[in-house]
Amino acid sequence: MLQFPIDRIASATPPAIAARVKGLSDRAIAWLFVAPSIVLLLAINIFPLIWTIRLSFTNFRVNRPNAQIEFVGLRNYINILTDRDIWLSMQATAHFLIWTIVLQVLIGFSLAYLINKKFRGNDLWTTIIVLPMMLSPAVVGNFWTFLYQPQIGLFNYVVGFLTGSDPSSFSMIASTSLAPWAIIIVDTWMWTPFVMLICLAGLRSIPPSIYEAAECDRASKWRQFWTITIPLVLPFLMLAVLFRGIENFKMFDLVVQLTGGGPGSITELTSINLKRAAFEQWRTGYASAYAVILFVTVFGLASIYVKALNKVKKR
Amino acid sequence: MAEVILQNITKSFAGNRALDDISMIVPDGSFVVLLGPTGAGKTTTLRMVSGLDTPDYGEVFIGGRSMRGLTPAQRNVAMVFQQYSLYPHLSVRQNLEFPLKSPLLRTPQRIIDEKVNAVAETLQISHKLDNKATALSGGEMQRVSIGRALVRNPQIYLMDEPLSSLDAKLRSDLRIELKNIQAKSGATLLYVTHDQIEAMTMATHVGVLHEGKVVQFGSPREIYEQPISIYAATRLGQPRINVLPADLFPAAPANAKSIGLRPEHIHQGEGQNATVMRVEHLGDQTRLHLSFKTHNLITVTDAHTEFKGGETVKIQPRKPLYFDAAGMRLV
Repeated sequence: MLQFPIDRIASATPPAIAARVKGLSDRAIAWLFVAPSIVLLLAINIFPLIWTIRLSFTNFRVNRPNAQIEFVGLRNYINILTDRDIWLSMQATAHFLIWTIVLQVLIGFSLAYLINKKFRGNDLWTTIIVLPMMLSPAVVGNFWTFLYQPQIGLFNYVVGFLTGSDPSSFSMIASTSLAPWAIIIVDTWMWTPFVMLICLAGLRSIPPSIYEAAECDRASKWRQFWTITIPLVLPFLMLAVLFRGIENFKMFDLVVQLTGGGPGSITELTSINLKRAAFEQWRTGYASAYAVILFVTVFGLASIYVKALNKVKKR
Repeated sequence: MAEVILQNITKSFAGNRALDDISMIVPDGSFVVLLGPTGAGKTTTLRMVSGLDTPDYGEVFIGGRSMRGLTPAQRNVAMVFQQYSLYPHLSVRQNLEFPLKSPLLRTPQRIIDEKVNAVAETLQISHKLDNKATALSGGEMQRVSIGRALVRNPQIYLMDEPLSSLDAKLRSDLRIELKNIQAKSGATLLYVTHDQIEAMTMATHVGVLHEGKVVQFGSPREIYEQPISIYAATRLGQPRINVLPADLFPAAPANAKSIGLRPEHIHQGEGQNATVMRVEHLGDQTRLHLSFKTHNLITVTDAHTEFKGGETVKIQPRKPLYFDAAGMRLV
């Protein structure tokens, strides 16, 4: 038979998988591939979530596995929502969340804007700036306890040097007014590079020709910044805020290393508070209810936020 | 609108010479088309005039003023980019308004609306004004990009292949429209293309560019009829000029190496025998692909010709152009 090139190509193309594996449709094969992920997701995410919700209505204590489990209805929820300490803890978390996000967005975007300018060695600078993000939070927390040390700490020395005050006259970690700022400063130091990287990706995604067009359209640098740079980077910036927001809502490691929630319970964020209830006081049912409340809060806030983000993207 | 003068413009990029001593006068109110293949330096020339790039040597004058050290905004030029460069987050209307909304101008909103609507009408994008700039086809984006220049009243319009991604019908419509706008408003236009039809139909002057040099500058007719080299001759004319060894036909000048024959300059019915290879009926004319002493050439003939492939036809040059060994025209 005469073979045209098209016939050779056709014969070299394998037949559809379903035609080779007898009795399986393409759809069935697709499910087969997805199944392991779904099973894993159910086993380690969905099931524990449902189990937690169930436990939140009981007085179960995991250190007394043989005790009779009683269903207590909404009592755990009522106890939590009427507890003044927990509201203080929520306030501390909100304070931490808002300030870290504000500072990281401002500094991160500014750094990205500067790094995006063409100058010698900006790749090297990017690497240096990104370094803190690569360290373990436990290590960072530990380092900063030294830096915050009133007698020998570098941080206190620098502040003392700049303001002329005595470095050992204040302690970032032991003072009730300074401790919340101590954790904000460290988190900002560590995670601003992350915001910067995302902003940098946003800035680099703007084609230079758009600025050239704006230049020809006689837009000043100022107008270019507000009408081109900001709107085009905004979706990226909002994504960074989402990531940082969710991360910082469950902040634990840095703060435990730095202040351990203290002094008193000034820096006891909700996640630390929750951990104490669950694994120091062993009030499992109560802690489950607490966890559900936090979950609903994060989930609710994040959903509203994602809606806003999509609106910005579509604009 | 103003006269634009390019004086000895030279520009290199990383050691590669993009522009080599370009000098040119774009008269006030003229439509100058820069013609050349990719890499000839057409776009770079535009960028020199716009101020987006600065020359290594030489100077640009707009309206008699030196443009040295001036930004595109200060030069007051409008540019249409080949890659459209629309503001992606803005609507079509906002894109068209953008150049008018400069805080310096303080144009009243009523006048902005009037101008935007008029331009949208001309470019047939009125129904897309509230679309996002990214929700358009390539051709629509290109029209918005042209519109963004037309709403202004600059010293000079700079256009970088503005019709390249439009379909054939729209392209010929806009060709006429652009020419009308230019003729009516007396605008000065510097226009880059590699499409010789655009050059022939719109230009008052054509600058033929080759490897960063201006090879020839003149009216389209002048370049078509009196090209200074084979290169310039092949830039204009569709089908292309036939270039053959000069000794194929009698009466060639002594130092002629090649003979250039426009399709319409091959007279049929007298002279030497050629074989018809293919006949293309285009409706208004018919093209004959001929084989002549092992060389292929193309000529045009009567629309209702009876010629068929394989037949023999006698041909003879009329008004031939002769070129020397270097490809330069012998006059």
